[in-house]
Amino acid sequence: MSADPLQALANAGQGKSTRSLLRVIILALIAAAAIASRLFSVIRFESIIHEFDPWFNFRATKYLVANGFYNFWDWFDDRTWHPLGRVTGGTLYPGLMVTSGVIYHALRALTIPVDIRNICVLLAPAFSGLTAIAAYLLTNEMTPSSSAGLLAALFMGIAPGYISRSVAGSYDNEAIAIFLLVFTFYLWIKALKQGSMLWGALCALFYGYMVASWGGYAFITCLLPLHAFVLICMGRYSTRLYVAYTTWYALGTLASMQIPFVGFLPVKTSEHMPALGIFGFLQLLAFLDYVRSAIPSRQFQTFLWLFAGGTFGVGLLGLVIATSAGIIAPWGGRFYSLWDTNYAKIHIPIIASVSEHQPTAWPAFFFDLNMLIWLFPVGVYLCFQELADEHVFIVVYALFGSYFAGVMVRLMLTLTPVVCVAAAIAVSTILDTYLSTKSPKPEESQAAEGSEGKKAGKSGLKAASKPVVGIYGLWGKSMMVSALAVYLLLFVLHCTWVTSNAYSSPSVVLASRLPDGSQHIIDDYREAYQWLRQNTREDAKIMSWWDYGYQIGGMADRPTLVDNNTWNNTHIATVGKAMSSSEEVSYPIMRQHEVDYVLVVFGGLLGYSGDDINKFLWMVRIAEGIWPDEVSERSFFTPRGEYRVDGEATETMKNSLMYKMSYYNYNNLFPPGQAVDRMRNARLPEVGPTLSTLEEAFTSENWIIRIYKVKDLDNIGRDHAAAAAFDRGTKKKKAIKKRGPRSLRVD
Amino acid sequence: MRFLPTLLLALLGSASAAKKSPEERFQTYHAKALSSAPVKLGDPSYRELTGTPRDYTVAVLLTAMDARFGCQLCRDFQPEWDLLSRSWTAGDKKGESRVVFGTLDFADGRDIFMSLGLQTAPVLFLFPPTIGSHAAASPEPIRYDFTSGSQAAEQVHAWIARHLPDRPHPPVKRPINWMRWISTFVILSGGLTASYAAWPYVLPVIQNRTVWAGITLISILLFTSGHMFNQIRNVPYVAGDGRGGISYFASGFQNQYGLETQIVAAMYGILALSGISLAIKVPRISDPKMQGIAIIAWGSILFVVYSLLLSIFRGKNAGYPFSLPPFM
Repeated sequence: MSADPLQALANAGQGKSTRSLLRVIILALIAAAAIASRLFSVIRFESIIHEFDPWFNFRATKYLVANGFYNFWDWFDDRTWHPLGRVTGGTLYPGLMVTSGVIYHALRALTIPVDIRNICVLLAPAFSGLTAIAAYLLTNEMTPSSSAGLLAALFMGIAPGYISRSVAGSYDNEAIAIFLLVFTFYLWIKALKQGSMLWGALCALFYGYMVASWGGYAFITCLLPLHAFVLICMGRYSTRLYVAYTTWYALGTLASMQIPFVGFLPVKTSEHMPALGIFGFLQLLAFLDYVRSAIPSRQFQTFLWLFAGGTFGVGLLGLVIATSAGIIAPWGGRFYSLWDTNYAKIHIPIIASVSEHQPTAWPAFFFDLNMLIWLFPVGVYLCFQELADEHVFIVVYALFGSYFAGVMVRLMLTLTPVVCVAAAIAVSTILDTYLSTKSPKPEESQAAEGSEGKKAGKSGLKAASKPVVGIYGLWGKSMMVSALAVYLLLFVLHCTWVTSNAYSSPSVVLASRLPDGSQHIIDDYREAYQWLRQNTREDAKIMSWWDYGYQIGGMADRPTLVDNNTWNNTHIATVGKAMSSSEEVSYPIMRQHEVDYVLVVFGGLLGYSGDDINKFLWMVRIAEGIWPDEVSERSFFTPRGEYRVDGEATETMKNSLMYKMSYYNYNNLFPPGQAVDRMRNARLPEVGPTLSTLEEAFTSENWIIRIYKVKDLDNIGRDHAAAAAFDRGTKKKKAIKKRGPRSLRVD
Repeated sequence: MRFLPTLLLALLGSASAAKKSPEERFQTYHAKALSSAPVKLGDPSYRELTGTPRDYTVAVLLTAMDARFGCQLCRDFQPEWDLLSRSWTAGDKKGESRVVFGTLDFADGRDIFMSLGLQTAPVLFLFPPTIGSHAAASPEPIRYDFTSGSQAAEQVHAWIARHLPDRPHPPVKRPINWMRWISTFVILSGGLTASYAAWPYVLPVIQNRTVWAGITLISILLFTSGHMFNQIRNVPYVAGDGRGGISYFASGFQNQYGLETQIVAAMYGILALSGISLAIKVPRISDPKMQGIAIIAWGSILFVVYSLLLSIFRGKNAGYPFSLPPFM
């Protein structure tokens, strides 16, 4: 308490109330800073929903606000996954939408007129403020030093690892889930420390909220049992643990089963089994504990451990058998890919295709956490000093979290809270040591060491076996403190820089710099979606790669074939096949799915890397997974194994619908023979591709979005190739007959 | 008795192959396969077996097993191929699936490799039937793509099965690896005995907090320095810089080398160690002079290494604007 860093400054206010007031003010300022640093995108662009998934969440929220909760719960969406539709109400995590809906109605009730879009845009920053406070509470459970909590709150508020998913406009499940994650952990620690059923029930309540919000709840479902298990292995079973765990598990599981999307998964799938197993194990332990207290016996201890271990082994065996017998569903693909790192690559290309599921290279860690990354081990080491139950939690969480963050970029998000807590413990320990105004007298401490040396040797760590004397020289203190101040300042600068440069782009709107340094906004996406909204029938089906499904649904309000909710791999593969096959094959597929327009993203003119030609191989791969005989990835590579788009490209590539749609008419922009794809630095052939079953309907200003209309059947019964050839004036009667493409009739 | 010489002739002479009916050919080769699958083919028997009116399917592996060719893939795939053909033939003794598995080595069928214009081995062809109820439109063989993924027998089995609808697909049966079971058992029991004997000595180590702290910190450093990335992506350990030297750091934000991650992990380790020393050890030094030296030493190590880390990171991320003095 005495070594609060601000305490040294605010020496005047020694009273307890002054200190709490200061703490509240500081926390409020931190929350404000957390919110403010997430507003870059709103200031730089506008109040707009970002990226892909948030567009679906936004659309669902609008539906919820417009139609009420029960309609939302039963929502069957026939405007996506045409012609299948999607049982949306039963296949989403409703927490985010319901949260915004409640806020919206609360503000309405307070007669504050606010647009639902603004609530959605600003929800993530608002919750990040709460996350900072939750991190403060969690850290305060770990260490008596109150400065650690404030530092943790500050780190949590501005660490780029968390900002990456919570800038204004990033209206995604993670926006509220990280707050719930940290707060659930806080409640768990509280419940464990006090052995309190009330805290355990609160923990279960927030766990239920977490399950309703994000699929990542499995992280909690696995971490809490692991913590309990480690505690038991350390011989730290206690009634506190029993009460906290059983309360959380029983209530939390019941709560999680209320979500239609989760349903009976908690008693069926393997990722929920550790929690169930530990629950049973704790019952056994409690039973044996009771028996031991009733029947005193010397040999009982041995018997107890043998019995408990044996039962655990049998349970594990039963789990394995039940899994292999198919009673319990096998591990979910996404989860499985975390353990067997090659699983996804071989079996589920759609999971491997998502860039967030890639492993993390070290620069990403440093980019997202900066100096916290090396303060993190220091904090974990400090936790070993005392190693109470809550410190074991930090250690377990640190190991678990860093493994998963290493395997999957996206899970950096779940690592960030523990990094912030551990780093805050480290920094506050150093600050507490070096900011103390009291300096020991050499003679006194040396005398004290002689008497205390043996007594203090009880702590488990070798490094901490001697008693603390403190820092003698004022210069040493000032040197360390100023160095640390420099690091902290650098950290703040780093976070601001990263946030402003890397994480604040809405990706719906692209920003570029003109030669004079001024900003130029590239707004092709919205231009194209607006065109669709205004120029097509309301039920015109749009085919595009699944990445753009949510945006088309949200911004253009048109039915799509596939979207970012990748629930039906075959349907996605169908679109992949249509894109990667020749026109003769694709046209029947498009007719069968009543496609009216096809949308492709093309970055060749602007050098935009996120375009469809770059994603094309994934379409081919996913299609090949379903139709290995009709689509082959190999035929898109030249004999020398290159993926090319220029004159050297393979025939399959040149004839694929995607290639044709991307480069159709593109060479007209350039002088003859000069057409260049600026993204792939490829000189394109002089004669561009021809399209006979599609016609160009719209191309945006910078050619990023190109929309094609699917032609109707020819009105005098010719096939499209012949009709197109006739229109071009190149019809040769005999040649056409010889070529005789397959009939395009669809039965 | 008149049949016997003709049958013998048919078996021996390939010249009469064209005259034999598809059914006869299938029975001949199926009988051969039953005794030793896959059938080892030569130049004439390959032509006979794949000759065109055929009402059966032929799966032929064209390979080059001779050590001169140094075909690693051939040697890796051969046991899988043998396993597949053996278990298929054993599961289909009556020949209901009407598949013949054959292997043609380059040494036995140089001309066929030439005539097919094959530059690489192994090549797996599946010749569909041309007559009969399962006749395919084209007599041309289907080629298996060896480039994608592993070449396990199961995968090839799935590929063949896909091309043979409505016919039985005997599954691949892997023989039990007794050696592995026995060695696992021996190692396990040995390990258990050893741990039982060493338990009194091991226990203090297991219960030692410093040991656990060390293990924890090392794993954290491994994971946060991108070790899993190396595991998953199989990145090279180091690479040349094109001028005869070694480049320690991969260019680009999304790339890294094995050595690079070790350097980074070591730097994180040094930084963490100085942090721990400053937080725990230094305030416990009772001699003022020693303490002063320790503060300066650890403090400056921290500063310099952090500065180095920042400069390395600037190398990875060109636009990064921040740096600390020594390595600007």
